[in-house]
Amino acid sequence: MATIENAHFTTLKGAYDTETMEATVKVRRFNPETGKSRFDTFIVTIPVTATVLDALDAIKDTCDGTLSYRKSCRMSVCGSCGMRVDGGAALACKVPMRKFVEAGHTITVSPMGNLPVIKDLVVDMTPFWDKIRAIKPYLDTKNADTPAKEWRINPADTALIHKESLCILCGCCVSECISMESDPDFLGPAALAKAYRFVGDARDKDTRERLRDLSGAHGIWDCTRCYFCNQRCPKGVDPRDAIAKLGAESFKEGFTSDAGAKHAKVFVDSTFKGGYLRETELVPKTIGPANAIKDIPFALQLARAGKVPNPLSPHKAKDNDEVKRLWKLLEKEAKGQPRRATAVHPDAVQEG
Amino acid sequence: MIRHDVIVLGAGLAGMRAAIEAKRAGVDVAIISKLHPTRSHSGAAEGGINAALGNATEDSPESHAYDTVKGSDYLGDQDAIEVMCREAPDDIYELEHMGAIFTRASDGKLAQRPFGAAGAPRTVYSADITGHVLIHVLYEQLIKYDIKVYEEFFATKVVVDEGRCAGVIAWDTQKGGLHAIEANHVILATGGVGRMYYGTTNAFACTGDGMSLAWNAGVPLKDMEFMQFHPTTLKSNGVLITEGCRGEGGYLRNKDGERFMVHDAPNAMELASRDVVSRAEWREIADGRGVDGCVMLDLTHLGWKKLKSRLPGSRELAMDYAGVDPIEQPIPVRPGAHYQMGGVDCDIWGETMVPGLWAAGEVACVSVHGANRLGGNSLMETIVFGRRAGQATAERVLEQGDTGARIEPAALADEDRRIAAILNNSEGERPGVLREELAKTMYDKAGVYRTGEALLECQEKVHDLRERAKTLSLDDHSSVFNTDLTTALELLSLLECADCLVTSAVARKESRGAHSRLDFTTRDDDYWLKHTLNWNDGGEVRLDYRPVTITKHQPLARSY
Repeated sequence: MATIENAHFTTLKGAYDTETMEATVKVRRFNPETGKSRFDTFIVTIPVTATVLDALDAIKDTCDGTLSYRKSCRMSVCGSCGMRVDGGAALACKVPMRKFVEAGHTITVSPMGNLPVIKDLVVDMTPFWDKIRAIKPYLDTKNADTPAKEWRINPADTALIHKESLCILCGCCVSECISMESDPDFLGPAALAKAYRFVGDARDKDTRERLRDLSGAHGIWDCTRCYFCNQRCPKGVDPRDAIAKLGAESFKEGFTSDAGAKHAKVFVDSTFKGGYLRETELVPKTIGPANAIKDIPFALQLARAGKVPNPLSPHKAKDNDEVKRLWKLLEKEAKGQPRRATAVHPDAVQEG
Repeated sequence: MIRHDVIVLGAGLAGMRAAIEAKRAGVDVAIISKLHPTRSHSGAAEGGINAALGNATEDSPESHAYDTVKGSDYLGDQDAIEVMCREAPDDIYELEHMGAIFTRASDGKLAQRPFGAAGAPRTVYSADITGHVLIHVLYEQLIKYDIKVYEEFFATKVVVDEGRCAGVIAWDTQKGGLHAIEANHVILATGGVGRMYYGTTNAFACTGDGMSLAWNAGVPLKDMEFMQFHPTTLKSNGVLITEGCRGEGGYLRNKDGERFMVHDAPNAMELASRDVVSRAEWREIADGRGVDGCVMLDLTHLGWKKLKSRLPGSRELAMDYAGVDPIEQPIPVRPGAHYQMGGVDCDIWGETMVPGLWAAGEVACVSVHGANRLGGNSLMETIVFGRRAGQATAERVLEQGDTGARIEPAALADEDRRIAAILNNSEGERPGVLREELAKTMYDKAGVYRTGEALLECQEKVHDLRERAKTLSLDDHSSVFNTDLTTALELLSLLECADCLVTSAVARKESRGAHSRLDFTTRDDDYWLKHTLNWNDGGEVRLDYRPVTITKHQPLARSY
């Protein structure tokens, strides 16, 4: 029984015991008043369990209170503290400092890419949020008869959008997106992963319209498949995989007119036919014969350098039948997968 | 001058739910939040949200209400608890219709898991990221209904004009500068105040801003001595490991491997209510049966399959912040400040004593949690009472229209001077230094176990800190994204809330729920079955009391 004799209970033993270490952190600064950038290097003492965010906090509390960055949950769920650590986007609160300190390495912290910098490590997320808005990021049941209770959905069907549902909208994927670097209007990995979250949702009835819009300009097919988004996502969302799923779904709906879609289709058809990619078919079938004519001078240049295979006798794999068998096997397996999740109105369920 | 019918402060679950309801009722509503909505700390909630759907076993709102009343150690207002438990199921169905991705049972219905001190598996969940799923579904609705959000605006004052709330004054963090934003009704939905403690599950943003705004606007804070300590938080940074771990069958062990809960709750064991489990852990550690200031949360017997499917987020957190994989090793955990049961005094629609000022969610004290909140009830509270506040303010707007309350230019000028004085000051101590002193003081002297002596020392220290915080030294005097300024403002809120907490705790000479006094070890219903009210009396805390509303359940001895 706890009584006053147990007054030692009030203060927890070992509450603050912690080993510390000395860390060196280089931070890219940007002063919005002068418009000037610079690097500052700080040395701070932090607990051995400290993250990059903890190191920034130590800098702010003890070295330089003008350092600005966003933070909130410090448990990788709010998505505030996206920034570049040694050049790659990460959540500062998820990256431990210890490994750097032990290696004697000075990390460099800088703001995320592809977004305008406001101050120090703080970026303007407006373009990011605008793209999230652009994909109609909410469930549309098309005025389906709303049940009195929950829609019935098979657990396996909710699993279809499990990874996309983990997204915390931190922007790390967008920071590293090379397509967005060349086309700032590209919807980008975060918005597209969010889009798949609805396309794959059993309750959403706007699938066809969504896929039509997403397969147009600045959409699905603008992704160059560099996989930096998958690599940099701190939550395992794998945005590139979501984009691939959107591509497959839009093909099923017959949205194949975008140059990017045609490009993908040539890869599939050409490898099916000959086991190899037929480069000479790739250009005309992607951008159309008329546009391909314009590229003839470029093709001749390539030919002079020996980079063009003979268009009259396309190369073919020795055992092309094996390729075809593989192709058919994949197609068969894909059919066994649930193509679309379904939600059942509870009134339509026979209780048994 | 910006003006809206209704302003919601805060964009967590309660705030967004309130705004959506008001917008759907056809009034002009806007949200002011110091964070982007999805950055709000509701998103960190893990285990789930309680509603008596009866999907897993038979259940009823009455049974939910009984568990909640008992869990509150009879300090919860039973009329409010009945409202929450009755309305919870339909709110869950609505979240599901909005698109919430909940975990399903094999029959396709919403799955429900057991939680502490609950008579049935009642907790609807989405693996162990329920808050994340809900914050995103409400943000999606915010976009659907095209609700205006003043993002990264830090509210510094609730303006009261001739006894009525007239709106708020807020600092634009991105660009700098104060703005007067008028409204007929202001709903506070700014969340909790865990950051006054060193060991806390709360985000950096949980600094009691809304409680402080209300207190300074003349609304009393209620039952502030009841800070819930969550039994399973990580030592390194206080991060929460969900109660769902114990709901799924996890054990708590001391350094000898003993499941020590057998001494405290032989029936419920690890699933006793949070106050009971936290006290048991604290005692084990204080008596030398802990491991490096922690006890062990053992999930190794659950198997990797269950851990990966039901508790993947907890596994990720344990690996990131404690360096252990719970599939193979137990997780060292200890109690951490988690949830403020008390808050802004309001009625079952969220209305406070200042007409036009409302509150919902953790910032509010309706009171549904009394002296101890049950796991899974806070998410439900945000949705039920957020919706009700949105509905009630909208009805009021449609009935009354413009209340006539205005923010006079002089009020804005006064606030401008106050903020400028903080912004331009370079004398005194750094906010971070004072914040750490406060947090350690509270954790050491107003923690899980309390004594009159320790609480008085704590109170003295808090008063000293409030005095020292009158001049804070800022390094950053610029206007664009000045987080040095917002940190200072947050510290002021924390200190006021801490003063209310410790002053209430000194006075309450009994043990009830989360308030456990070693010098007054029993519950005293004859004298202390009443709510504490903290009034702002010229900056000092003045105490007052109010009876508890009891409808069906007379207080009984509480055991699990």
